[in-house]
Amino acid sequence: MKKSILVILLASILLAAGCGPGGQAQGDTQKESFVFEYNGVEINLHADAATIIEELGEPMDYFEAESCAFQGLDKTYFYGGFELTTYPNDSDTDCVSVIYFNDDSVSTREGIYIGSPEADVVEAYGDDYTGGGGSYTYTQDEGSIMFVIEDGAVASITYQAIVEGM
Amino acid sequence: MKKFLTRLTSVILAVLILAFIQELLMPKYMDSIREGNLVEEYYASNKDHDVVFIGDCEVFSNVSPITLWEKYGITSYIRGSAQQLVWQSYYLLEEMLEYEKPKVVVFNVLAMKYNEPQKEAYNRLTLDGMKLSKSKIEAVKASMTEGESMISYLVPLLRYHDRWRELSGEDFRYIFKKEPISHNGYLMRSDTRPVTVVPDGRKLPDYNFGDNAWHYLEKMTELTRENGIQLMLIKSPSVYPYWYDEWDQQIEEYAEKNGLSYVNFLPLAEKMGIDYSKDTYDGGLHMNLTGAEKFTDYMGGILMETYALEDRRGDSKVADIWQDKLAYYNWMKQDQEEEMQKYGYLKSYGAAAQAIEQEDGGQTRQ
Repeated sequence: MKKSILVILLASILLAAGCGPGGQAQGDTQKESFVFEYNGVEINLHADAATIIEELGEPMDYFEAESCAFQGLDKTYFYGGFELTTYPNDSDTDCVSVIYFNDDSVSTREGIYIGSPEADVVEAYGDDYTGGGGSYTYTQDEGSIMFVIEDGAVASITYQAIVEGM
Repeated sequence: MKKFLTRLTSVILAVLILAFIQELLMPKYMDSIREGNLVEEYYASNKDHDVVFIGDCEVFSNVSPITLWEKYGITSYIRGSAQQLVWQSYYLLEEMLEYEKPKVVVFNVLAMKYNEPQKEAYNRLTLDGMKLSKSKIEAVKASMTEGESMISYLVPLLRYHDRWRELSGEDFRYIFKKEPISHNGYLMRSDTRPVTVVPDGRKLPDYNFGDNAWHYLEKMTELTRENGIQLMLIKSPSVYPYWYDEWDQQIEEYAEKNGLSYVNFLPLAEKMGIDYSKDTYDGGLHMNLTGAEKFTDYMGGILMETYALEDRRGDSKVADIWQDKLAYYNWMKQDQEEEMQKYGYLKSYGAAAQAIEQEDGGQTRQ
């Protein structure tokens, strides 16, 4: 009997200790994807947002949304022509999750802006997209860029970090 | 015989020890992320509800069953949970029918925007609280994300075994018993953070709800119909996440086609007396207590008129039960007011410290 109890306790300790920490925290390694540039500031998806926001300067507006249950906030900063949204990674660092164009005063590095003809998107980014017709999504490593098309022209442009649950 | 008894005793002891360790290591959701307790709390209720609400935080934050009772004599429960997905709503509804059959089920339709499993962390908040049943197994199957396993939901110790590093006082305080933190599924927040700016809806490539979401809404419609229950669809008056006109139209058409009542409460905010500078605790995502009471009061009138519900305040047995609930509700209201005065935020209710304005114009966090 005593032997059995000892075995059970040892097994419990091994079960608890035998597993390592959870999956690799996002943001721990540099992830590569599409880059947006604004006023000389390079904005990478998944990048630490604090430095970028400091370089961009005071936003015109700010909005934050607490997630349904978890600590940490999704934050949106409004600048001239675009919005930048962040998410808290596993280390509680705010990382860039979305860049969304609001008007045609900004363009992608590849020269596409709101109002660009649909054909220009494919010319700039190629055939390796998903969607087609109403939208074109190009994926590169840990992020994507999506163009929504209305009446033959780009109606919206969204850079989106690939994050579990988003 | 002696050997057999010894072995049997060892096995029973092993199971008890592992069960104890499992109880210790499972998150308690008492000091923070209190939403994690909502699904489980239902089982202790008296299961005599005229109306049951199902859905995400737009029901458990925005609807007050106590208000429905006080103003209309309607008994209700909210089987809500954080980011509850439509298939989870269906299986919670299916499971609930093993315990009771309400006259009306009200479903908040925001969840229709999700067509696939989302995040394990949210799954856990809804599914870990469910008792083991066929409905739970189906809910888990429908919800699992990549890397999740059924066995970890059946034996949660396999998932939470490494929480031993994070054990805190609450894990020991609440290992055997937890006091209820909700009011028939309503999670009270009496603090205020006004709406300042809300992002416009971003253009989507496709506004159609997915096939999987529709499948489960149809199952819900059929299940309620088969059981003689009225199903009501609502969009709660939270201003974010953005509710697109295109989504609203799809729900309107579905409701009309299936003879269901659907009310989008967003355009009715002014009529309900909702002031987004005072009636929300997080900038418009969720109503606070005053907002929830206003919304519920208005919705109660619709429920009474549409479904001819009975005012049960004259039933002394029912009234006694609800008198206790009302006393607890008022106690918590008072307690929250005192915490706001003392700390400036709801310290023991899972709220984060808010920045407070200093007289010199700077800001500090408590």
